[in-house]
Amino acid sequence: MHLTDDQLNEYLDDALPKRARAESHLSTCAECTARLSALRSLAAEIESLPEESLARNLAPAVTRRLTSPAAAYSGFPRWLTLTTVLQTAAATVLIASVAPFILEAASTFIPALQAPPVMETILEAQRVWTAWLDALSQFQWPSPPELPASLGLSNFYILLALAGTALAWLVGNGLLLRSQIKQ
Amino acid sequence: MVLTDTFRNSFNRRYTSAMDAPTDRDLILRARRGEVEAYGELVTRHQAGVFNVCYRILHERGEAEDLSQETFLRAHSRLNTFDVNRPFGPWIRRVAANLCLNHLESLKPETEFDEERDAAEGAGPEAVVEVRERGEQIRAALASLPARFRVVIELRHYQGLSYDEISAELNIPLSDVKSHLFRARKLLAEKLHAPD
Ligand SMILES: [Zn+2]
Repeated sequence: MHLTDDQLNEYLDDALPKRARAESHLSTCAECTARLSALRSLAAEIESLPEESLARNLAPAVTRRLTSPAAAYSGFPRWLTLTTVLQTAAATVLIASVAPFILEAASTFIPALQAPPVMETILEAQRVWTAWLDALSQFQWPSPPELPASLGLSNFYILLALAGTALAWLVGNGLLLRSQIKQ
Repeated sequence: MVLTDTFRNSFNRRYTSAMDAPTDRDLILRARRGEVEAYGELVTRHQAGVFNVCYRILHERGEAEDLSQETFLRAHSRLNTFDVNRPFGPWIRRVAANLCLNHLESLKPETEFDEERDAAEGAGPEAVVEVRERGEQIRAALASLPARFRVVIELRHYQGLSYDEISAELNIPLSDVKSHLFRARKLLAEKLHAPD
């Protein structure tokens, strides 16, 4: 019986358990010998592939990345700069400060709106925050700017615009940074 | 542990031009102590070998350079797990092969490989005429293989690993090593010996 493809492959790789038996068959079978020699020349051809030379020295880039902590392989992400942190903090504070007003205003439009139990802690935090804001509002600016009533702009809409800007800022930065994060 | 003289001599002949140049082992020990320059010297010595592993598997120079760089960074973070009494070259080349496989698999999750469709695509005479040099033909044939087949061919034919070593390196069963390797060879034979 002829040798199977698997047996010939294993023979080529010196991994055939019954090597002697295969050899005795090969000594009498021209067909299997031809198949083996085809396999051998394929292996020789694969291994004949010349090596290519490298176009640039990689050592400077590797050592640079190992020495700069911000760009280290397993260090801080490169995009996490001071600017990003400050912007995120500012936007978060802005959103948090207007959130109570928006919630309050929204509940007047949708009277049936019920805060879920999970929200209660958050609302409690917001109440503390609002109390702090109230205290802050006692502070008198030298000349508080008065908006003309004819514009019909309530504080709520101004705050809404501010929150929108902060959100757009956050999302915009996230989109801009996405390509850097990937690297 | 002290290296035997024979081993040390073969090491020096292979990796250094002068006898007083540091061995890879010295450089690794220094790199472990935080000497980045020592690691840079290791990169200089082994980058060509690593690049060729990546280039054979990825078939794209720029990508191969990037992955070579990643290989050295990855290896640096694992330097403490490396047995300094073993040669560095074979180890870093295996790291490279593994990294390239992960890279290819992260790009596109491989769909079930269709050998017949693929053989039909590659066997056309125009595909053979387009690539003139034999080396390029071999590279193109390798690039047409599924990622896992490429890496098994790399580890067996270019790095000389046994079935068991490949199985351990890629963390796949021995039966998969064999089936990947044998099917890869069959496909390469079809592509390289296609009638033109
Ligand atoms: Zn036979």
